[in-house]
Amino acid sequence: MSIKSGYFKKHLHVDLTRGNAERLDLSETFIKKYIGGRGFGAKLIWDNLRKHDFKIDPLGPDNLLVIAPGPLTGVYLPSSGKNSFVAISPATGLYGDSSMGGGFGVELRQAGIDAVSITGRAPELSVLLIENGETTILAMPGLKGKNCLEAEGLIKERLGTHAVHVATIGVGGENMVKFACVNTDWSRNAGRTGIGAIMGSKNLKAIVVRGDKDIPVYNVAGLVAENAIAFKYMREHKYFRMWQQEGLMNVIAYANEKGILPSYNFKDGVFAKHDQINGATMLSGYKIGDSACFSCPMCCGNICLVKNGKYAGTVVEGPEYESCAMLGSNLGIDNFAAVLSANRLCDELGIDTISTGGVIGAVIEGYERGILSLADLDGREITWGDEEAILGLIQKIARRQGIGNVLADGARGIIKRWPEMDKVILHVKGLEQSAYDSRSSLSMALAYATSDIGAHHTRAWTIAKEMEQGQNWSDDEKVDIVIYHQKVRPLFDMLGVCRLPWIELGLSERHYANFYKYVTGEEASLEELLERSNDIYNLTRLINVRLGTSRKDDSLPRKVWANPPLTGPTAGRIIKQDDFNRILSLYYQKRGWNEDGIPPASLERKFEDWAVPAWNEHR
Amino acid sequence: MTKRLTVIPEQCSGCRICELVCAIKHFRVNNPKKAAIRVMITYPHPVMRMPIVCSQCRSPLCARVCPADALRLVNGVVQLIEENCVSCYKCLEACPFGAIYAHQDCDLPIKCDMCGGDPECVKACPKAALRLIPEAVLGESKRLNNVLSYAQMKEIEFYEKGEKKIIRYAEIGEES
Repeated sequence: MSIKSGYFKKHLHVDLTRGNAERLDLSETFIKKYIGGRGFGAKLIWDNLRKHDFKIDPLGPDNLLVIAPGPLTGVYLPSSGKNSFVAISPATGLYGDSSMGGGFGVELRQAGIDAVSITGRAPELSVLLIENGETTILAMPGLKGKNCLEAEGLIKERLGTHAVHVATIGVGGENMVKFACVNTDWSRNAGRTGIGAIMGSKNLKAIVVRGDKDIPVYNVAGLVAENAIAFKYMREHKYFRMWQQEGLMNVIAYANEKGILPSYNFKDGVFAKHDQINGATMLSGYKIGDSACFSCPMCCGNICLVKNGKYAGTVVEGPEYESCAMLGSNLGIDNFAAVLSANRLCDELGIDTISTGGVIGAVIEGYERGILSLADLDGREITWGDEEAILGLIQKIARRQGIGNVLADGARGIIKRWPEMDKVILHVKGLEQSAYDSRSSLSMALAYATSDIGAHHTRAWTIAKEMEQGQNWSDDEKVDIVIYHQKVRPLFDMLGVCRLPWIELGLSERHYANFYKYVTGEEASLEELLERSNDIYNLTRLINVRLGTSRKDDSLPRKVWANPPLTGPTAGRIIKQDDFNRILSLYYQKRGWNEDGIPPASLERKFEDWAVPAWNEHR
Repeated sequence: MTKRLTVIPEQCSGCRICELVCAIKHFRVNNPKKAAIRVMITYPHPVMRMPIVCSQCRSPLCARVCPADALRLVNGVVQLIEENCVSCYKCLEACPFGAIYAHQDCDLPIKCDMCGGDPECVKACPKAALRLIPEAVLGESKRLNNVLSYAQMKEIEFYEKGEKKIIRYAEIGEES
C-alpha cells in the first residue's frame, strides 16, 4: 500500500556555516520505512555518520541536529503535540534524542515541513526563522546570556508577533552544558541527552516557526469517528479527572508507597516528608491552572504559583514527577516552594531537571562520603535539603562557574575529574538516571541498561507492571515486556504523539494504527508499524555499536549492584550481577544480536539507501 | 430561549481541541489556523489561557462597520452573509475582542456561526471551559458567589441527628 497523504514530503536542510537552507524532497520509500520523528532522525543521523566515516565530535559543526514531528503531530487525536530532537549526544557520545510537547512541532508541520536538519556553525549567535517553509537566518547577538523566556520575548518583539512558536536554549545551552535542553511554550523541554548544548555549539539560540498550512489527512471522516471512540474512552476512564488535576504529580505518592522514589541520591526509596512535595500539597496550596500540550484532553501540566514566603512570586509550569522527585526528595528538599523555585531556575537556564537533580544529589553524597573536599565545592558546604546551596549550584552549573564547570560535563566529566564519584552518581552510558529506582525491578534495570540513549525511562517503563504483577515473572517474560515496550514507546515518538494516554489510561495502541491509516491512507497493521519501530531500534543500536558500544556499556550504575535502599518496602534489594548477566544474554538472543550485543553485519544493508542522495556523492 | 457560548478562561488548559473541531466542522481540514475560535496563551505574566470566540453581540460593532451589509443578527447569531461580503476585513478591526479571523487560503473572514445552535467546540472541550448558557442564567454564578462571600455574614453551629452543621445568616442591622 502506498502513502497517499499525511506528509508534505519536504525536508529542510540548513547549513549554518554557509548560511543557506535547501528544501529537499523526501521519497515515499523513506517516509514509509522511517515514519517520522525519531525514525527520520535516526536515519538522517546514520547517513550523516556514514558521510563523515563515523567520526563526529558531538559539539563540533558536523554533528547533525534533526528536528522532526511525525505524521500524526498536530492532527485531531489525543495528545498529538510531540516533536523529536535527534543528534549524537554530547553526554553519551552516542545516539541521542529527546521529544518535546507543546505546540512547536504542530507549527512546524503547518509550515509544511516534515523534518529539519541543521549542520555547521553560525558565525555569530543566530536565530533560525521558518515561515511557511521559507527560511531566514537572523543574527541576534543581543540574545547572548538571555534565559529561555527572555529570549523568546525578545524574538517575538523583534518579529512583531505573538503568533509564532519558539524553541530556544538558555544560558546552559550557550555554555554547552552536557545536559542542556531546548525549551518551548514556557516549560516544555526536549530535556534529555544534551540537545541544548548542540544548539549552543552551533551558535543557534532559537528556532522560530510560523505556519498556516492544512495538515494533510487522508480520511477526515474516518479520523473523526476513530477519535470519538478514543476521546470517549479517555473521558470516561476512572482516573481521567485525577490526571487533569494532578498530572504526573500523582506518581510521587505511588512511588513512595512502592519504595522506588529517589531519595537522598537514591540512598533510599522512600522519603519521610513525601507528603509535603506530593500532588495533594500542590493542589491545596500552589496550583493555579492546567496546561495541556496540543490536542490533549489529559492536560497533565500543572501551573503553580508560590503565594507567600521567601519564594513568593515563583510561577512555573510544573512540576511533573521527574522534576519534583529529582529536585525534591532526591536532594532531601521537603519544601514544595523550593522545588518549584529549582524547577523554574532549570527551565529559565535551560538545563534538564533530571540530570541536574542527579548531578547535585551525587555532589551532596560525594561530599558526605569525603570524595569531594570543601575546596572542590568552592568553599561552600552543601548538605541534604540545603535549598540555598542547591539553587546556587544550579546557577553555577548553567554558567560553568567554579565546580559548576565540572558538573556541567555530566556524569562522564564528573567521573573523569573524581573517579571515586562513580560510586555515587547514577548513570548508564553517561546519561544520568531518571527518577525510577531499578533495584527492585530486574526488567527496569534491563530497560535502563539497553536504552539506546542511556538511563532514561522513555524506551521501556516496566517498573510499575513488574512491581504489581510481575513478582513471579520468568526471565522470558521480563525480556519480552522490555522488548515490547522498546517497540511501542519509540513508535509514539515516530508518529509524533504522546504515550501517556496509552501507558496511563490504557488507550489501546490499536487506535494509533487506525489513526495512521486515516492520516496517511496506508493500510498498515499495528504489527507492521511495530516492526518499523523495531527496525529503528536496531538502527540506533548499529549507530551506537559503530561508535563503540558493546555489552560492557549495557551496564548499570554501581549503586544498583552495591547499595540497596535503606528503608521502606524495597529495603535491602539490589540487582545481582549474575541475574543481570543472564537476562542480558537472553535479551541479546531474543533481539538476534550476538553475545557481545552486536547486531549481525547483514543488518546494515537494511539502511544502505541514502535519504539525501547528495550526501553520498559528497563523501 | 437564546443561549450564549460562554468562555470560562480559568478552566482552559490551552489544548486547542476547540480550534481543531471548529476547522474540521467548517472546512473539513485539519488546520487550527482556520478556526473561528482561538486560544490565546500568555505566560508567565499574566498566566492566562483564554479562548477568543464571537460573543454574538446584540449590537455588533462588526455589523455596524460592514459596508456591504454582510453581517446581520439573525436569531441571536451574528451571521456572515457570504454573497454580500466583499472581504474588506473591516469587521476584524472593529471587533473589540479580535474574535473574527483571517486566513490566506480563505477569501472570507472566519467567524463563529454557533454551528446552528450546537457548537462543536462546547461538546469537545475536555475541561468544560466552553459552555452554552441560556442568557437568563448568565452571570448567575457570579451573583451567587457575591452573596456567599458577603463579609457581614455570621454563622452558628448546630447538631442535626448527631451531625454537626453550620447555618450562615446576616443579622438585622441597628437603625442609624
